[in-house]
Amino acid sequence: MKDGMYFAPTRIAQALKLLAEYGEKAHILAGGTDLVPKINYYELKPDILLYIGELGLDYLKKKKGKLVIGATTLTATLTNNALVAQKASALAEAARQSGSIATRNAGTIGGNLANASPAADLATPLLVMDAKLLLGRAGGKRVVAIKDFFTGPGKTVLKPDELIIEIYVPSVKGRTIFLKLGRRKAMTLSVANVAVRLEMAGDTCNEVRIAMGAMSPTPMRCTRAEEMLKGRILDKALVNKSATEAVAETNPIDDQRATAWYRKKAGAALVAQALLQAASIDD
Amino acid sequence: MNYILSFTLNGCPVDVLVKPADTLLDVLREKLNVTSPKRGCDTGDCGSCTVLLNGKPVRSCLTIAMTAAGKHVETIESFTSKDGKLHPLQHSFHEHGSAQCGFCTPGMLISAKALLDNNPKPTREEIVEAISGNICRCGAYLEIIEAIQAVATGVEKEE
Repeated sequence: MKDGMYFAPTRIAQALKLLAEYGEKAHILAGGTDLVPKINYYELKPDILLYIGELGLDYLKKKKGKLVIGATTLTATLTNNALVAQKASALAEAARQSGSIATRNAGTIGGNLANASPAADLATPLLVMDAKLLLGRAGGKRVVAIKDFFTGPGKTVLKPDELIIEIYVPSVKGRTIFLKLGRRKAMTLSVANVAVRLEMAGDTCNEVRIAMGAMSPTPMRCTRAEEMLKGRILDKALVNKSATEAVAETNPIDDQRATAWYRKKAGAALVAQALLQAASIDD
Repeated sequence: MNYILSFTLNGCPVDVLVKPADTLLDVLREKLNVTSPKRGCDTGDCGSCTVLLNGKPVRSCLTIAMTAAGKHVETIESFTSKDGKLHPLQHSFHEHGSAQCGFCTPGMLISAKALLDNNPKPTREEIVEAISGNICRCGAYLEIIEAIQAVATGVEKEE
């Protein structure tokens, strides 16, 4: 019986070389919170496990005003880091509501994105902040905007020889809010989750981003709903109209967590609540 | 292929032969006869396999054993002193009747210890948050919370 191989390189170049050599046979392992259940339930028998936890990609820093997050930064780190709290509070909130203490101590931001769950908690805050991903491969690299990264449930633009190296979060104006509806306080996948970014000039909306998770095959931006708000004076009626439009752009499914019908109802309420919070309008 | 994995288990260095996809839970229970971490769901949802890895609670069922190389792993087996004296948390769980079937207890104790190690005087809310990733299907949550609170406040249960 073949048991496969395990590699734990300590340099990024080594890891990329192994990926180039083994391609789809190599399964990238970071925290294991998404990969290992598949192994435990015999859905996956990896030929090669490539552990990237020794690459030194667990860092958070400021570079030219941007927040740079290493791909293996733990979800736990995002919950209590001062830079994240200051530059990306919705990301910190999403991290706090993700999994449980024990899985936050293992799960990584790069893993959450590469796993490409439609419900990935960290994706929606990054979508509203126009984050970018640096993807490395042997002898090259490219930068992909997060809105172009996801292509379907569990699917991304990552090629078999590519690895997420770091995530860039631009410095954004205005407030960001993350709200999640789950069925249990811990260890729950979202029934729906929402992130918004809102920059106001007095009562007028200057700039806005709305993103929803668990509502479509991928975490997505709701651009038509955003357009309804840009340059307009925000009040409760307009916010509710925009929230209705936001869920009209989504395409949720029935699953064990909720029906599509319920997701649309709850999703609209979440969008409205997030926008009102961001605009400091009393509900 | 088999690999030699070296790590520190409850203060003792161990070397063990493992396969690449073996989880830490497989290795602890089936190769090292350390059976306090329980196999519940094997997906990370239930918390009964929780152990401390370098002092932090993680799911041993989701931890590929090889990634523990060179690290410190602690289980409930390290709680009881050599002369058989129970850890204050174990004693308190016993006093408060916090275990019914007992399957979740090791994971609950690990989560409770991790909390008190970092935050010796937690609020009730913080205790609830700390064990929110541990499921007790007997529903002994109240007794578990009370037991942890009693250790944190130093108040023994009245007879």
